[in-house]
Amino acid sequence: MVSMKRVAAVAAMSVLGLSACSGTDSAGSSAVPGAASGGGGDVLASAPVATAADILPGSTMEKIKKRGELIVGGSLDAPLLSQQNPATGEVEGFDADLGKALATYIIGKPKVKIVNSASETREALLSNGTVDVVFQTYTITPERAKQVAFAGPYYSSGLTIAVKKGTTGISSPQDLNGKTVIAGANTPAIPEIQKLAPQAKIITFGGDPECVQALKQDRGVAYVQDETLLVADAKKDPSIQVVGSPFTTDPYGIGLPHGDDQFKKFVNDWLTKIQSQGVWQKIWQNSLGTVVQGAAPTPPAIGSVPGS
Amino acid sequence: MSPILDHLPEFWQGLLVTLELTAASFAGAVVVGLAITAMRVGPVPVLRAIGTGYVETFQNLPLLVLLVLAVFGLPEIGIKAGLLATSMVVIALYEGAYIAEALRSGVNAIAKGQGEAARALGLTFGQSLRHVVLPQALRTVVQPIGNIFIALTMNTSLVAAVGVVDLTAAANRVNLVEAQPIPIFVGAGLAYAAVAAVAGLVTGRLERRLAVAR
Amino acid sequence: MTAPPARRRSSGPASTLLFDEPGPRARRRITVATVAGTVVALALLALAVRQFAANGQLAAARWQPYATWPMWRYLLGGLRSTALAAVVSAALAMAAGLALALGRLSRRRPLRLPAAAYVEVVRTIPALLLVYIVLFALPRYGLDLPLLWKLVVPLAVSNAAGFAEIFRAGVLSVERGQGEAAVALGLTHGQSLRLVVLPQAARRVLPSIVSQSVGLLKDTSLGFVVSYAELLYSGKVLANYNGLLIQTYIVVALIYLVVNASLSKLARALEARQPRRRIPGAG
Repeated sequence: MVSMKRVAAVAAMSVLGLSACSGTDSAGSSAVPGAASGGGGDVLASAPVATAADILPGSTMEKIKKRGELIVGGSLDAPLLSQQNPATGEVEGFDADLGKALATYIIGKPKVKIVNSASETREALLSNGTVDVVFQTYTITPERAKQVAFAGPYYSSGLTIAVKKGTTGISSPQDLNGKTVIAGANTPAIPEIQKLAPQAKIITFGGDPECVQALKQDRGVAYVQDETLLVADAKKDPSIQVVGSPFTTDPYGIGLPHGDDQFKKFVNDWLTKIQSQGVWQKIWQNSLGTVVQGAAPTPPAIGSVPGS
Repeated sequence: MSPILDHLPEFWQGLLVTLELTAASFAGAVVVGLAITAMRVGPVPVLRAIGTGYVETFQNLPLLVLLVLAVFGLPEIGIKAGLLATSMVVIALYEGAYIAEALRSGVNAIAKGQGEAARALGLTFGQSLRHVVLPQALRTVVQPIGNIFIALTMNTSLVAAVGVVDLTAAANRVNLVEAQPIPIFVGAGLAYAAVAAVAGLVTGRLERRLAVAR
Repeated sequence: MTAPPARRRSSGPASTLLFDEPGPRARRRITVATVAGTVVALALLALAVRQFAANGQLAAARWQPYATWPMWRYLLGGLRSTALAAVVSAALAMAAGLALALGRLSRRRPLRLPAAAYVEVVRTIPALLLVYIVLFALPRYGLDLPLLWKLVVPLAVSNAAGFAEIFRAGVLSVERGQGEAAVALGLTHGQSLRLVVLPQAARRVLPSIVSQSVGLLKDTSLGFVVSYAELLYSGKVLANYNGLLIQTYIVVALIYLVVNASLSKLARALEARQPRRRIPGAG
């Protein structure tokens, strides 16, 4: 469990978040696709900027604008979502670029500071004002909504199963009963497996590269993780494959301080704008779209989930 | 306390794994430590160098790094064992370096005349090590080795990073469900403290029994 | 036994207790053992490397990233964070350790007992468990420390016990006569401790302090758990980025090895510099 960072939260974390995944150790894979999305700049150039009238006096937005920097709770090690590029120091991916787009909307330029946060501490970070917003595959749940506010959902994902190519007899979570299953430490995959396949033996590793390596070395017969991550893994490493379709629905929200309705409305308005102007779709194309085939999905309706 | 009582089986299972790991790795570490010490106090320069290199390497690497490297790296050189077994071996090798170092200072503390006397009596290298030097060295290092045992017990908690569900990992999993960190982690801490306390008692008793009036 | 503090002493010249200057026959045997030892060691190494290569882990493409500056820049940044965490924790742990040691040596029970209890309890709790408490339990009570402190606090708490034991052993290793002489000269108990006993103890425990600090530096790898971007966690971020799990951790391991070996070397140099004062002193 190394990555306890993301710990406890049962819930949540995202699946993805945890572990990022990238890495397999397979031959020759170079960088994570999408991690190198240098394209963020062009997209951000076309991203909307709020009018002066939107930045209400005395509001959270005004405070951020005055500071000149948006402070985001996020990850550094979640490829495709929020992964630091060691060469440039930039954090790249879907969540990271959305954070930059929100900064652009408020400040006029993509000035973002990422506070690497453990999932367990996100509520505390928001309520004590350490961060302005959280973009970290933060699944919206009614329990969490008692402590923080959620804008969005801005994306919907779910858990699925990967196996070594050639494995038969596993196509749904129930097939995992009696088998050894790999999961990221402290990811929501653990309680889900326990619920759907109570006889499965779960072994956990801190990060996605470790999990993939463990799967390839037969430490377990299946690996349960967020679909996007697994698709990326399978794309990089032809020796593993994704089976079945997601068996959970995890709507990701933008975490905001509890009770700041003004700011929540502001962020939801921004989300509506970037979705209607195609910015959301371009950001998706640059990150998750580099491993998932087809056009960008339709974003989930804002406010459609209990807790949002 | 109910988060602990409700999950007693998980805690118990985790504690068993911790005890098993502790016992097996400690036994292994003693064997490794003795072998390395024998190499380091012998006359063959290459073996002495290997022994010293071994101790230096293992004392200067974080156990966490060794565990991750062994679990994922060893299968790449064709050695594949279970996670628990791999962890046991890694901890034994790691703590073996500390035991070797403790034994060596024990050996160094022995008067040179002891070795000379043993040779004068015609004992071979192995015999003088076994019958003359080690028994005296062991006596002076009971306390340091007791400390290494306690450190080893604490270090077994790192196996959680490589997928072994020991007491710490079990506590973490229970906390994931119950979200009551204080009683859960304090409970686990008490269990470790109990193991260490037993070790302390044994060490104290052993030290008294081995003590010789001089 | 006034052996210097019981921590491991680092390897000085190994003992020649068990053998004399070898004669011709022994020399021949030593040569045979040398050759055999070398051959076995090299054979094992070669076998491992061959297997490793057979699995493609030695392919140039998998190592090439570590021939580039940005990767090293990133890892060295991690090393800097490791050093920062280690220095801050060591400073706190030493200060607390000194206070605890003095408390434990105090003649006053109300000082002695809590200090002893702290040391005995804390050294039997895994640092990882302390990290969990800071990570998961404190935020529930509204105390969410910055990342660096989430690593530093548990390390300082747990290493304070280790440093306390070192200082205490150091003070106890100073011959009683020293303190007694100081008191006979008219110094108070406090003065004799401060002016006579502690300076001598400090010199003797230096090597142990360095080894405890090396241990502490190794403990900062728990930043992996905290997601504080020290060396090992930086390695994790890198492995996520380039997918080279094994290569990355080997490089990280080598960096730890070089840094810690240098520190241990320093400890040895300090030990060697120490005047053998027990010979004239204790007689």
